[in-house]
Amino acid sequence: MSKGSLSKLIETLSERLLTERREYLATLIETSSSLILALLAGGIVLAVLGYDPLNVYNILFRYGFGNIRYLLDKSTPLMMTGLAFAIPLIAGLFNIGGESQLYIGAFIALLAAYYTHSHVIGILAGTIAGGLLGAFIGILRVYRGINEVISSIMVNWIFFYLIIYLISGVYYNPERPHESIPIPKDARIYPISNISVIFAIAVLASILYYIILFHTDIGYKMRVTGLSTASAKYAGFNPDLSMIYSMLLGGAAAGLGGALLVLGMTYSIDDMLSAVYGLGFTGIGIGLLGRLHPIGIILASIFFSGLLIGGQWVELKTGAPPELADTLIGVIVIALAIPYVYKLLVSRLIQRRVIE
Amino acid sequence: MPEPIIEMENIIKIYPDGVVALKGVDLTIWKGEIHAILGENGAGKTTLMRILYGEIKPTSGAIKINGEEVDFHGPWDAIKRGIGMVYQHFTLIPTFTVLENLHLSLLALDESIKAEDVETLTRRLMDELGLKIPLYDVVEDLPIGVQQRVEIIKTLLRKANILILDEPTSVLTPIEVEELFKMLRKLKKLGITIIFITHKLREVKAISDRVTIMRRGKVVATLYTSKVSEEELARLTVDIDLTSKPKIRGGIRGRRILSINDLWVRDERGLDAVKGVSLELYEGEILGLAGVQGNGQKELIEAIVGIRRAYRGSIKYLDQDITSLSVGDRYKLGISYVPDSRNIGLVYEMNLTENSILTNLHNYLSGIRVINWSEAYRTADKIVREYNVVAPSLRSPIQYLSGGNQQKVMVGREATREPKVFIVSEPTHGLDVRATRFIRNMLVKLRDLGKSILLVSTDLDEIMELSNRIAVIYGGRIMSVGDKNEYTIKKLGLLMGGIHEQRITK
Ligand SMILES: Nc1ncnc2c1ncn2[C@@H]1O[C@H](COP(=O)(O)OP(=O)(O)OP(=O)(O)O)[C@@H](O)[C@H]1O
Ligand SMILES: [Mg+2]
Repeated sequence: MSKGSLSKLIETLSERLLTERREYLATLIETSSSLILALLAGGIVLAVLGYDPLNVYNILFRYGFGNIRYLLDKSTPLMMTGLAFAIPLIAGLFNIGGESQLYIGAFIALLAAYYTHSHVIGILAGTIAGGLLGAFIGILRVYRGINEVISSIMVNWIFFYLIIYLISGVYYNPERPHESIPIPKDARIYPISNISVIFAIAVLASILYYIILFHTDIGYKMRVTGLSTASAKYAGFNPDLSMIYSMLLGGAAAGLGGALLVLGMTYSIDDMLSAVYGLGFTGIGIGLLGRLHPIGIILASIFFSGLLIGGQWVELKTGAPPELADTLIGVIVIALAIPYVYKLLVSRLIQRRVIE
Repeated sequence: MPEPIIEMENIIKIYPDGVVALKGVDLTIWKGEIHAILGENGAGKTTLMRILYGEIKPTSGAIKINGEEVDFHGPWDAIKRGIGMVYQHFTLIPTFTVLENLHLSLLALDESIKAEDVETLTRRLMDELGLKIPLYDVVEDLPIGVQQRVEIIKTLLRKANILILDEPTSVLTPIEVEELFKMLRKLKKLGITIIFITHKLREVKAISDRVTIMRRGKVVATLYTSKVSEEELARLTVDIDLTSKPKIRGGIRGRRILSINDLWVRDERGLDAVKGVSLELYEGEILGLAGVQGNGQKELIEAIVGIRRAYRGSIKYLDQDITSLSVGDRYKLGISYVPDSRNIGLVYEMNLTENSILTNLHNYLSGIRVINWSEAYRTADKIVREYNVVAPSLRSPIQYLSGGNQQKVMVGREATREPKVFIVSEPTHGLDVRATRFIRNMLVKLRDLGKSILLVSTDLDEIMELSNRIAVIYGGRIMSVGDKNEYTIKKLGLLMGGIHEQRITK
């Protein structure tokens, strides 16, 4: 290699690094500044309601992020429902069906593990079940023109009651009639030397989704479809297929979330579904908080579970009503999810820096 | 002594990603003049106008309107100061009537205004300007030129006395351009100041009083138009010599590569847009397809590419019937297509590299369908170098490139695929003189290599300069096909207007 081309190479490499670093730096500044804003906003709400913000935050973060294993366990299903919302949205669909996709994933995983005594089969069965349910909604949208939000909500309720019926009427545990049959001991997923295995599986799944999105043709096609259907058609992609794939992948994530939850945490499902209810909806917030990016969603799910756990401790320690913690979490998340405020700030900052 | 109406002083603009688009620009516009702005792609023309219109803020610098310093926080502030801007992409609501659109835009100023008032105001304005627009027609049914007039009327109803037009002629046919110019002259008589961005030197000469030439974020000169020649303008803007036109040889016509037989295609509304078109394309030729926009050329080429289905007739590629082949399969056969809209040909939120593999994804996949990004970077880099694309990096979102540079990426991508059949629609749309010449030379070079090119363009100069044969489309039918030498610009104009050949020759 001649000296000229070598220096050229170094030049392009350093340019690439520089632009990339600038991107990461910008994201970092954005996120941390918005986090500070969010905490300030939450603090103001606390003060207005007559609580000591410092004390509450102290409890919230100390206890919320104190027990790492519990924290990561708890974030596992949320990470998956976050993906379940994010992936279809990248292709342009609103998947509100993370709820039912998670229920069915948990339930099918339970049955599969119960009969086969294998957690691997449980995981696979749950994932596939969630994926199929997601794809079903995608197919309704593509071939029947049924709005996916409406069908998702309907399917959510159908499965909510169906699974309650199955658990309380068919697959109940004779010894504990309010619970489903349990996951057999040999099919449960336990932490290995205090490392949360289900969390590790979820992280691996997120990384896999990242690869699919940004390094495979399916992901590329989904992204183009979400940004411009006309461009997708021009490029020779089939937007319908991309949408169905995105729902399949999204549903599979939620299904996996349900499977991991039941195989690694609850080992059974109660007949009120309180163990699984709401996780899908929370996933919407997590997906947005993570900016529809698999890696962002990993972080968002941990952060959010920390808040959820800490919120319960706040209740316990200060005697505040549960609404307080919910309000606080709501304020923080909303403040975090308003991205363009800080985009504006950052762009101003960079501009100023360049001028000086 | 002319009175300045706009004074922009030492305007600097640095975009958030660090691109310095304007490096201290001074611009003075005189009251009542038509002021052309000329400059290479990426020179900063659009940026400067967006600043004047309050859409973006300058990093530093001052703007004075009528001698008074202003600080715009958004287009509304500019509109209140009497500034109107007509974008290339119109902002009308396509499914509303003209009147409804006008009403809507005035409601923003005056909530209580009634449709009748808008109609009276509009009719008065049209009388004054001596032009007619069907107020009760739905906007999407109107030709582009008329839609543009609606846009202008819209700004005038909002009492604009300064009108900014960013490349208004690039979507128009020659006749429409003439009509636009007539209207602009009338507006000038009424005392309206006009700023006019274009890449076409002839238009600068035809319409403007003065011209400002920009290069790389700076003003090179502001001149009286009457005192410069087109050649001088070309030299000042992009440093090229206009007198040495590229030589267009005949080319050697080879096999028939595409035969279209009695093709019928419907548009979005289910109406027949292409009505029994038969056409042939040979190797080693450029077939120019001339026509006023909206006469079926878009539907025709989309059917050839496969984006749209033909419900009758057939398309043959060599000996293969491709009528029901998918878009992707046609691309793999060697068909390549540059659409007339960058909105479709590019994904604005994706970066330059991602955009440069859009229509060729399958060539960048490994066995397990993983995208080979380093290969994609090489392609992007090749396009950027060969087509002289000005972009901060290969990872910049395509929307941060100037219009002309986006165009170069799109055309460059399709040409780099080495197509056998190259369908190009408005390939030099928004390109500066030099880039236009480059793209035209590229097309000729491909032709000389034996490739087939179907050139769709509203620019008749372009059709006349490049084509071996010409076809004219009107109302979804081919009015005439023949050797280039059989046509003149005038004859093409008549044919495009639906006048039959027999009547022309008689
Ligand atoms: N939104 C943006 N963000 C970052 N950079 C931008 C943005 N818009 C334009 N630029 C950059 O600013 C420079 C000037 O762009 P501008 O669009 O003003 O050029 P132009 O003179 O209108 O060119 P053209 O003739 O191609 O339309 C270009 O280098 C372009 O890449
Ligand atoms: Mg421009």
